[in-house]
Amino acid sequence: MARFLVVQLARIGDLAQTRRLLAGLARKAEATGGEVHLAVDASLAGLARRLYPFATVHGLPAHGAPGRDAAAAARRVMEARPAFEAVAAARWDKVFLLNFSPLSMALAAMFPPEVQRGYRMHAGQADKDALLRLVFRLTRDRRGAGINLADIWAHLDDAPLDPALVNPPAAPRGGGLGVALAGRAARRSLPPEVLAPIVRTLFLATGAKRVTLFGTPSQAGEARALLRRLDGPVREACRDATGQTDLPGLVDALSGLDRLVTPDTGAMHLAAFCGVPVTAFFLSSAWSHETGPYGLGHTVWQHTVPCAPCLESAPCDKGLACLPPFADPALHRCLAAPAKAAPPAGIVGLATDCDALGALCRPFCGDDPTAGRREALRAFLTRRLAGEAADAVPAESGHDLAESLSLETDWVLPPPGRALAGEW
Amino acid sequence: MAFSRALRVLVVLPMYGGSLPIGRYCADALKGLGHAVEVFEAPAFHGAFSALKDLRVTSDRLEYLENSFLQVVSQAVCAKAETFGPDLLLALAQAPLSRQALKRLRRDGVATAMWFVEDFRLFTYWEAFAPYYDVFAVIQKEPLLEKLAAAGQGNAFYLPLAADPAVHRPLELTPVERRIYGARTSFMGAGYPNRRLAFAELLDYGLAIFGSDWDGDATLAPRLRLDGRRISTEESVRIFNAAEVNLNLHSSVSVERLVPGGDFVNPRTFELAMCGAFQLVDRRGLLSELFSEDELAQFGDLGELKERLAYFLAHPDARAVFAEKARRRALAEHTYARRMEALLDFAASRLPGWPGGERDGGQALSGLPEEMRGEVAALLGELSLPPDVSFDDLVWAVRARQGVLSPLETSLLFLDEWRRQYGR
Repeated sequence: MARFLVVQLARIGDLAQTRRLLAGLARKAEATGGEVHLAVDASLAGLARRLYPFATVHGLPAHGAPGRDAAAAARRVMEARPAFEAVAAARWDKVFLLNFSPLSMALAAMFPPEVQRGYRMHAGQADKDALLRLVFRLTRDRRGAGINLADIWAHLDDAPLDPALVNPPAAPRGGGLGVALAGRAARRSLPPEVLAPIVRTLFLATGAKRVTLFGTPSQAGEARALLRRLDGPVREACRDATGQTDLPGLVDALSGLDRLVTPDTGAMHLAAFCGVPVTAFFLSSAWSHETGPYGLGHTVWQHTVPCAPCLESAPCDKGLACLPPFADPALHRCLAAPAKAAPPAGIVGLATDCDALGALCRPFCGDDPTAGRREALRAFLTRRLAGEAADAVPAESGHDLAESLSLETDWVLPPPGRALAGEW
Repeated sequence: MAFSRALRVLVVLPMYGGSLPIGRYCADALKGLGHAVEVFEAPAFHGAFSALKDLRVTSDRLEYLENSFLQVVSQAVCAKAETFGPDLLLALAQAPLSRQALKRLRRDGVATAMWFVEDFRLFTYWEAFAPYYDVFAVIQKEPLLEKLAAAGQGNAFYLPLAADPAVHRPLELTPVERRIYGARTSFMGAGYPNRRLAFAELLDYGLAIFGSDWDGDATLAPRLRLDGRRISTEESVRIFNAAEVNLNLHSSVSVERLVPGGDFVNPRTFELAMCGAFQLVDRRGLLSELFSEDELAQFGDLGELKERLAYFLAHPDARAVFAEKARRRALAEHTYARRMEALLDFAASRLPGWPGGERDGGQALSGLPEEMRGEVAALLGELSLPPDVSFDDLVWAVRARQGVLSPLETSLLFLDEWRRQYGR
C-alpha cells in the first residue's frame, strides 16, 4: 500500500497547480490500495478538500495571520500540534515538499530523508532534488524558461500523470463571462482603464449575456472603477460578486462560466482546473511559460518587451513599458478576431497545449522572440524527464543546454529515490 | 584481437552504487586477460562526500561544495593517470570524473572509456558528459546510439552486462545455509513499485524476498527474509543457489505495467545463469540475442509468470535443463573477460594509433640476469601478468602489492630506482 504526502503551503493558485502531481499519486495509490494526503495552510483546507476529494487534507498554520505578535504566533503553532503529530505519525513512502520556504524546510525535518522529495531537510541541512537544483539554474534565463511550475512539481515523482489528463479540456459552461479583477501583485494586473475596453470587446465577441466580477472584498473599489468605465449594455450585464464568495463558492461560481478574463491569478488556475476557458493577460513579472493556465484550450496574451519577465519584488524603472500594448486597439481587434488581426508590438497571443513534458503555450498570433529558446529547453528537459516519450524529441535540439546546465553532481549522484546500492 | 603487449588500464570506480561491483569485476577481468590494472578507489572518498550533507549550510552552498569536492576527486584521478600512465582509463557509470578532468586527460593523450551500465532514460545526464569520453559503451541500442551520435559521441557501442564466473558460480550449500537462504520461489533485489504489486500475487508459490527497500508493505512483510537488509554479493550467490526458482523481474518505478518490457538486460540475469541457478525472467527487448528461449525461461506478463512458475516448481528436471544450458552460454559468451576484450577491441578499431607501441623499459624478463628469470617468471604468474610484460608494468604491479614485500620484489623496485637514477 503506497502512502504519499504532499506539502503545499503556498496559495490558491499553487494549490490548483499541484493537481498533476496529486492526481498522478492518486492513481498510484488506487492501484495499490494506498492513500494520498495533502498538507496545506489551514485557511485553504476547505478548498483543498473541494479540489481533491480523494486526498486526506491536513490544515497547518502556514500563512501569517498573527504577524509579528510572538505570543499569538506561538499559540497558533502550538494549537496546531495535533495536525503536526497526525502528519508525523504516519509512515510515508514519499513526502513531497513543494515550497522553497523555511516553513516547508522545517516541516521536512519530521520525515526520514529517504522519503523526502523536492525541498528537503536532513540533520539541519537544507537540500533540494536534482530537478529543483536544475530549475534554480534555469532562472538565470527566465525568458528562455519553458516549463510550467505544475510540471516541475509533477516531475518530482518518477512517473507523473499524462499532462492531457490533468485538467478537463476547456469548454464554455453557459454562465457568461467572468472577470478576475486582480492578483496579489497589482503590477501584474490590468488597471480598470485598460481592462474595460478588453472586457467590452470580449463581451461582444463571445456573445455573452452576463458578466460576473470576481475578487476579494478589498477589490470592490476596483470593481466599481471598472463598472464606471463600461458602457451601457455591458455594465447592465455585469454583476459585482467581489467579496461575496468563500473559496469553495468561488470554485462553484467559476466552474459555470463560459470564459474567465484574468491576469495571472489563483482564480485563473481554478478556472483551468474546472475546464473553463481562460483569456489571460500576462505582464510585468508574470510569465505564462512558467505559470500559465494548465491544459488545453486557453488563451494567453503575453507581453514580450525585452525586460520581461521582471522581478516582482524590484520596482520598475522602465515606466511600466509592458502595460501600454494592452491598451492598444490592435489588441482589441485581435481579441475580437484573432485570425484577421495582428497584436501590437510587444505582445504575443499564445494558445495552451500539452506535450510529453507537460503544459505549454504555443504562439498563434504575433511575434514570439523567445520561442526558439523555449523549444530547445523543452527538448533538453523532455530528454531529462519524460522517459520513453522523449524518443520522439530531436536529439540535436537543446544539446548545448545540457552542456551548460548540467553539473558534475548530476552525473555522479543517483536520481532521487534510486537505491544507493543500484538496481536494474 | 591480440595486443602486442599488456596494456595499462586505470579503472575508475564510482563512489557507490550498482556499477561499483561491476567496476571491480572489470578490473579482475582485465587482470585475468594479462593487463596491468590500477584501480581508482572512489568509494574511499564517499565518506567525506557524504559528510557535506551534514554541514548545515544553505542548499546553494551545499551544491557548490559538492561540485567542488567532485573536482578535487577528479584531479586525484588525473594525478593517478599522470603517475600510472595508462593506455586506457575505464570509468564506470557515476565515476567521479568532471568534464574538466576529461578534457585534461584528452589533452594529455590518455584514452578514456565509459561503460555506462545504466538506463539512459533514468540516468539522463549522459548527453552532457558522453562527448568527453573517447569510447562510450552502453547497455542499450537504439535510439540511444543515435542520440549519442547526435550529442557528439561517435564511438558509442552496445556492450551488454555480464557475470564473473569466479564470483557467480554453483555452490554446495550446507543445510544451515539452505535454511537461511533457501526458498521455493526466491527474489533478491530492491522493492520497486512494480515488484511490490507483482509479488503480492505470488504468495501461493512459496515466495521469499531478500533485499532492501521493501518497508511498509504489509502483504509482503511476512515473506521478507534477513530483516530486509542489504545483501552482499557473496550472500546473493548463496540465495541464487538455494532457490528452486529465482524470479528476475526488471525494476520499474511505474505501476502501470508490472512487467515493464524494456530493452536492456540486468546483471542479475547473467549472474543467475552463471551460477547455474534456474530463473524466470521477464522478456526484454535485447534478451533474445543473449540467451535463447530454451536457455532462459521467460514471461511477458503476470499471467504467464504464474503459469510458468507453477510448471517449473513442479518440474525440477526441466529447471535443471534450463539452468545447465544457461550456465554454458554464460560461461562461453557472457563473462566480464569477454566484455573487456570487446571493449579493448572496439577502442583499437576506433582510436587511431591506439594503444601505441612498446613501453619504455622493454620486457621485464629479457633485461634480467639469467638466474633471476625463473624467480621473476613465478612472480609474474602470482601477479597474473603475462610473460612478455614490460619491466615498468611489473614494477607498477609490485608497488601496488600490500604489506611487506619479499626480497625479490624489493630488488625489482631497487633496480627500477637504479635505472631511473643512472639512466637506462
